[in-house]
Amino acid sequence: MTMRLSGKTAVITGAARGLGRASARMFAREGADLVLLDVARGLPGVPYALGSASQLEYTAELCREFGVSVMTRQADVRETHDVEAAVSMAIGRFGRIDVLVNNAGIAAPSGKVAHEIDEHEWQLMIDVDLSGAWRAIRAVGKLMVEQRSGSIVNIASTAGLVGYRHFAGYVAAKHGLIGLTKAVALDYAPRKVRVNALCPGSVRDDPQVEGRMLAEIARSLDVPVGEHEEAFVQAQPMNTLIEPDDVASAAVWLASDESRQVTGSVLTVDGGFTAR
Amino acid sequence: MSRTDLIPPDRSPSAHCHARRVRLPDGVGATWLAGLFERAVRTWWGDTPDRLPRLWDERVPAACDSAVAGRRVEAELHRPLDAEGALLRAVLLQYADGPADLVLVAHRANLDALSLRTVADVLTGRARYEGFTDKTASHIVAAADAETLKRWREADFSGRIAWASGDDAAGDRTGLVTVAIREAGPDVPATMAAAVGLVLGRYENQENPVVGVLGPVPERPEGALGAFDAGLLLALDLSGARTAGELVAETAQALASDGGRCDGRQYAELLAETGGRVVAGLLTDGPAESGSGTHVPCQTAPFPLTIVPGRTPDGGLQLVVRHRLEDVDADSARRFARHVVRAYEQLANAPAGLVPADVELMDEAETRQVVALGRPLRRLDWRPERIDDVFASRVAERPDAVALTCEGRSLTYAELDARADRFAAALLDRGVRAGERVGVCLGRTPDLVVAMLAVLKADAVYVPMDPAYPADRLAFTAQDAALRIVIADQDFPGGGSASVVRPEELETHGGEAGRARPERREPGEAAYVIYTSGSTGRPKGVVVPHRNVVALLSATRDDFGLGPGDTWTLFHSSAFDFSVWEIWGALLTGARLVVVPYWVSRSPEEFRELLARERVTVLNQTPSAFAQLMEADRRQDERLAVRLVIFGGEPLDARPLRAWFDRYPEDRCRLVNMYGITETTVHVTAQNVTRREAMTGSRSVGHALPGWHLYVLDERGRPVPCGVPGEIHVGGDGVALEYLDRPELTAQRFLPDPFTMGRVYRSGDRGRLLPDGRLEHLGRLDTQVKLRGFRVELDEIRNVLLDDPSVTAAAVVLNGDRDAAGARIDAYVVPAGGDPAAIRQRAAKVLPEHMLPATITPLDTLPLTANGKLDVRGLPEPVVAPAAPIRAPSGELAGALAAVWESVLGVPVGPDDNFFELGGNSLYAMRVAAAMRDRGLPAFPMRELYLHPTVSGLAYVLDEVTSHE
Repeated sequence: MTMRLSGKTAVITGAARGLGRASARMFAREGADLVLLDVARGLPGVPYALGSASQLEYTAELCREFGVSVMTRQADVRETHDVEAAVSMAIGRFGRIDVLVNNAGIAAPSGKVAHEIDEHEWQLMIDVDLSGAWRAIRAVGKLMVEQRSGSIVNIASTAGLVGYRHFAGYVAAKHGLIGLTKAVALDYAPRKVRVNALCPGSVRDDPQVEGRMLAEIARSLDVPVGEHEEAFVQAQPMNTLIEPDDVASAAVWLASDESRQVTGSVLTVDGGFTAR
Repeated sequence: MSRTDLIPPDRSPSAHCHARRVRLPDGVGATWLAGLFERAVRTWWGDTPDRLPRLWDERVPAACDSAVAGRRVEAELHRPLDAEGALLRAVLLQYADGPADLVLVAHRANLDALSLRTVADVLTGRARYEGFTDKTASHIVAAADAETLKRWREADFSGRIAWASGDDAAGDRTGLVTVAIREAGPDVPATMAAAVGLVLGRYENQENPVVGVLGPVPERPEGALGAFDAGLLLALDLSGARTAGELVAETAQALASDGGRCDGRQYAELLAETGGRVVAGLLTDGPAESGSGTHVPCQTAPFPLTIVPGRTPDGGLQLVVRHRLEDVDADSARRFARHVVRAYEQLANAPAGLVPADVELMDEAETRQVVALGRPLRRLDWRPERIDDVFASRVAERPDAVALTCEGRSLTYAELDARADRFAAALLDRGVRAGERVGVCLGRTPDLVVAMLAVLKADAVYVPMDPAYPADRLAFTAQDAALRIVIADQDFPGGGSASVVRPEELETHGGEAGRARPERREPGEAAYVIYTSGSTGRPKGVVVPHRNVVALLSATRDDFGLGPGDTWTLFHSSAFDFSVWEIWGALLTGARLVVVPYWVSRSPEEFRELLARERVTVLNQTPSAFAQLMEADRRQDERLAVRLVIFGGEPLDARPLRAWFDRYPEDRCRLVNMYGITETTVHVTAQNVTRREAMTGSRSVGHALPGWHLYVLDERGRPVPCGVPGEIHVGGDGVALEYLDRPELTAQRFLPDPFTMGRVYRSGDRGRLLPDGRLEHLGRLDTQVKLRGFRVELDEIRNVLLDDPSVTAAAVVLNGDRDAAGARIDAYVVPAGGDPAAIRQRAAKVLPEHMLPATITPLDTLPLTANGKLDVRGLPEPVVAPAAPIRAPSGELAGALAAVWESVLGVPVGPDDNFFELGGNSLYAMRVAAAMRDRGLPAFPMRELYLHPTVSGLAYVLDEVTSHE
């Protein structure tokens, strides 16, 4: 069996559930040791429950079954101190960080036209979905540059490429994340540190990873989940929803040395949605 | 705490990180362990709080003997630690079924193996931490003294590990092989280091191999925790000046002394100075194991071959070789480890007087295996016959098929047979006796073939001689072979006792055709004698019997699909045994043989034209000639009918053949590279050459032909291990009878086959057997070189120069070997007076054109190395002197011609300079012709350049030609 990430240490944010859990599990299967981070509590202003400490531990347990070393830590990507403490813990234990997956993000507060978004809602969205990724990059970037190796995978969205009605904050943050990806890719390219963005389309809310993105978007738009799902199945040319593992597989590839010449790129896993 | 400077210095931390796993005793809880850990590390390293290690307590959701647990432990044991960070990494792995493992990792620059073991003992309750203290290790690296430095500098760092195959994409990845040691000796590290050096010396053909050693210094303080490892380089003398016992004793002394340590800086300097590397090194810190546990002496191998003597769990000795996969594959590492153990066992129990060369690397089973490796893939199914009898069968089968074609005229098999019968009858009438040698000195004409066949029919032995050779050389051959009769169509310069018979005289003989001797000699008796360049300074005759040629055809006919549908060319000089294959390959398989006139053979365009016109299907070429032909063919749209190309005569560089495959795919035309020697009847091995070989630049010459077999032997005649270079020996059905009238030389080169009946020929070629039994040819052992298909003995040329009374010393070198056409022989002489041009003229009387040095440079003295040998690198650039002061070529054509020559030869050209004296040769001549065509200058037949080798002479002739058109 060839392990595509053996010997590598990966830090994954937002790892308690959803795409974070799916990615962590697949990284473990490929032999990566993991440092799993999650805010692991609710945030004021976010109208739905975020990941919990219990969910984060469960993700870690799933990963340990593959025989890799897994550390967990509560970290809010809005807090510089949280992120830096997590990184220094990873260094103390593993001596290196090879991969950062910036997965932490929120989909709501959303569902409003632009002029209805209030100041706090706007700041919250930008702070988590865009600035959070930057904070994590700032914390590992110096180390990766010194190592002269590393891969940073920013989980953006098709909302980083096209607009969605009533999602101005989210769309702006994800567009910003793609911009951040490209700029940092150029900063780090001479040092062999790669930065790429991954844009999932509509991902099925898989109960195994306790995903709820689709449900929350439907709720923001005030439509029944089934109807919303159906609309996206129609909108994605392959006429099916994306599975969390489809996204995780792409993340493994971007994290592995197989993609060693890939940087500053935007990889869509959207069933052809943005090809239209 | 101070760090030692480790060797090799250029490796990633993992090469110097070592690790240990211990199972916690029953009843030791994680909390208790954490407390003990805290107290211990604070006691030892409390003064460096920023480097204080911590204990990582982790759960593994699987049983302790599960695959998951195994993977986890391996990952922890191989997780590197930076030299500058924490002094130690301690991870407690608690398994789901209760047991727990403690994994400790340290960098050698901080803690040595014994320190790590101490930490493990303390944490598992086997020792108390108060008994140990942190010690500084700064004093342990003593500088090497001048004598040690000198020994290092003189040692051989040239190891290439060409006997193994590496994986370029492997990075730091390290493989591991283990071999049990049955017979232990007193001083394991010293004996093992000597054994490693000995095996390395054999593998790399080194008299002074270098072995690195990394391990604790002898004066390591007891009870200390810290870094006490230092590097050492051992330069071993395997010349035979020391016995095996002395070798081990010296090694032991070096290991036990406090001086002579090699630090990272010195190591880097040495390697930069010598441009080489240290291929193998020992880690000597495998302490006697106590209790259960695992010790990983290095996470990745610091040396390409890192040798670690140690103990098995049941207390026996074993050898572990950790090999960098970038350099060494697992099979080769296993072989190496096995040989080191075998050498070790002999050194450990060496009787007095045993010298390093006495040590055997392979046991009987492996020897048998290597011997079997050199055998062909198929058996030869054949019946020994006479050449002329096989030919007679072809005549009987298809008498009216065309046998020979030359310049529009043809002879059928029946006609060729009849004509040869008439020649044979005439020879018998002249009293030719059975087994008598008859000279055949004819150019490339049908009568050359008729004469050879006639000599065989008369039950005599033909001695081919190329009329283009210098008179003195032909005279030597006639005399050496004691020729009474030479068939020649011009005055044969033999003088002496040989009488010349012209083909016409044999043709017009009125005697009874078809009268053969009633009783002829057996197929095992001589058929021909070919003279080859000799290392003693004069050519020697190789006596080859009928049966060998018949065996050669039997070995190749089915594989190559040779038969009556084929058309071959006779391209090569009859004095070059490639022509034996061309002539009898065609005529004994019922094919048609097209005789290529000499001038056509010199012009790729004209030769290509002939191949197309005659629809030649089987082509034999030296790689250099083929390169020119390929170039000529590329300019034509039409494809040739060639279906089989056999390369021979010189090493093949397959890379340029890609362009050929684009025009002639492998299923249309098969290319075969054959390694061969005159003494083993033209060919020995065959390797199909496809795009794969062209892409990889393979040097394989393939497996032995059915009926032939190979050994690669060392200087003592023992087989060398697979992949290791040695001297190629050839046995089987192709081995010639002897060197004519040279019993001593015959006894030296034709030896009894050590493994089966019969004899082997000791080739003087270097080669190695690949694991699949194919042979790689690595060039000559001595100074013999191949130049444009000719075997040239540089010493022979040197001896000819030294024969000149006006020369007191001489050196001959081959230059520019990267380009076949640019390869040339340069000579240097120390003249006693007189003119180098005169020396050249005298040499030209004895040496054929291909052996005549392109330049002869006079020197006051020859540069010598410290050992008194010729310092080839110290020789100056050869002086290419124009014969006369340069006078501008006159006339427009002459000017253009001179420009072309200058561009091809790279020297100034005057109108009366001789093309060949300026370094020109047949391949340069072809380039001149091509360059002239490119510039729109008149085309000229190649022979004109040979007849008029000066700019003014050639311009005059070309003027004549063009003005008459």
